[in-house]
Amino acid sequence: MPSVLTPQHSESVQEPSRARKLQLLGILCGFTAGAWLGAAEAPTKLVSVGVSPLVISLIMVIGVFLARWSLPALILGTSSISADVRRAPHLIIWAVLAGCIWAVANTLTIFAIRDIGLSIAFPLWNSNSLLGIFWGFLFFNELRQAGWRRWAGVLGGALVMCAGAAMLAVASSAQAPAAHPTRGVWAALSAGILWGTMYIPYRKAYLTGMNPLSFVTFFTFGELGMMFALAVSYLGLAPLWQQLTGARDVLFWLMLGGFIWVIGDLFQQYAAKYVGISRGIPLSNSNQLWGLLWGILVFGELRGLGVSTYMQVIGGSLLMMLGVGAVAFSSATGSEQAQWKAAAQREARRYDLAEDDVEARMDGRQSAGDSKPSRSALDWLLVAVATGVFVIFAAMAHAPRMSLHWWPAAFLSAATLILLFVCGVTLWRTTRFN
Amino acid sequence: MDRTEKDGISRNWLTSVITDVHFWVPVVVLVAGLLLLKSIH
Repeated sequence: MPSVLTPQHSESVQEPSRARKLQLLGILCGFTAGAWLGAAEAPTKLVSVGVSPLVISLIMVIGVFLARWSLPALILGTSSISADVRRAPHLIIWAVLAGCIWAVANTLTIFAIRDIGLSIAFPLWNSNSLLGIFWGFLFFNELRQAGWRRWAGVLGGALVMCAGAAMLAVASSAQAPAAHPTRGVWAALSAGILWGTMYIPYRKAYLTGMNPLSFVTFFTFGELGMMFALAVSYLGLAPLWQQLTGARDVLFWLMLGGFIWVIGDLFQQYAAKYVGISRGIPLSNSNQLWGLLWGILVFGELRGLGVSTYMQVIGGSLLMMLGVGAVAFSSATGSEQAQWKAAAQREARRYDLAEDDVEARMDGRQSAGDSKPSRSALDWLLVAVATGVFVIFAAMAHAPRMSLHWWPAAFLSAATLILLFVCGVTLWRTTRFN
Repeated sequence: MDRTEKDGISRNWLTSVITDVHFWVPVVVLVAGLLLLKSIH
């Protein structure tokens, strides 16, 4: 018997119950994104060799590239991605642009951490959620006619999260005094501006109904291309190659970090689609909390530090959770969703897309003209190649020589996998990953 | 669909993108980020 959640049976006009279901789904995706983006830090903590941060970023992005081609092929098949591109080819430009922005922002954070330390840099670039709220309001009608309670929940929640993030960053940082404070502050603020602005292409794509799995596939071209260009221009081709071959023992761990990050990012994309960027970004920014849990419980960070540090960690974590809760309980009302729909119709007219098709995709349904996604030999080839590359690098990798706390690692891994399972199943049942 | 028609459609969506103010905001921010990177390196 088909489930009541089966998307093909939905009405063309979004019912309140369906809208509520999609809102809850988006919030769940935001939580799951935070957990997986935070877990992505774990494999990178295993790497303690003297590799340039730019090379570390580049290797992670290579892992990201492999994951972003193989996961969508596995989940929906490349035929679905091709259909998305034929329907809305302009979105390729937006996806590549977003990928380029991500790479530049990520490189700026490296300079920011080096110059002013993580404790000051992190809260500065974490302000990206505030900029995301601003762009969401200005360009995509988010929080319009939302009422003061929703405004207070989203804006207040994001501000409280920024304060919590600042406390956590101060507690977890053991950086030397700032070497170039002005330069570092500019780099961190600019990274926040870039990441906050990167969500314009995200929302643009999802308002016109693009599937997040298609978007990330093209996003990664901009990401890898820009990251490679930056690495070559900063280090030179020969030194870059030398560093890559010299770090072959740890390439797998970094690529694994990239792979885990992609899973988190996919859920972040679905959150941006179903609850908008004003709510999706703050929710997925809870990754800092998860990263800290991995750091403290599994890698023994902060061990031997004073009570005040632990108080800061507890206080910052509570603030982060409070902020996440405030955002999560501020889901969009019917009148705000009508405003989103108006923005989607504006996009459909501009890019000559069928309005009912856009509406169906916004509702997480297949539109009438869509064929059922299927996997071809090409999809299995992509999955096999990506798996093969990971297996080769895993064979070259060495087990880290550091003491880990395995029980907390198992517990956090289980919690992250449960979130993946619950969110994945809910996404499948509600939208068929549309 | 013949070649002329395909070219026309490509031109249309490209025109829609470059005349969209939303497009130029991320482009300007990206260029500014690249310039900043160049200056701090």
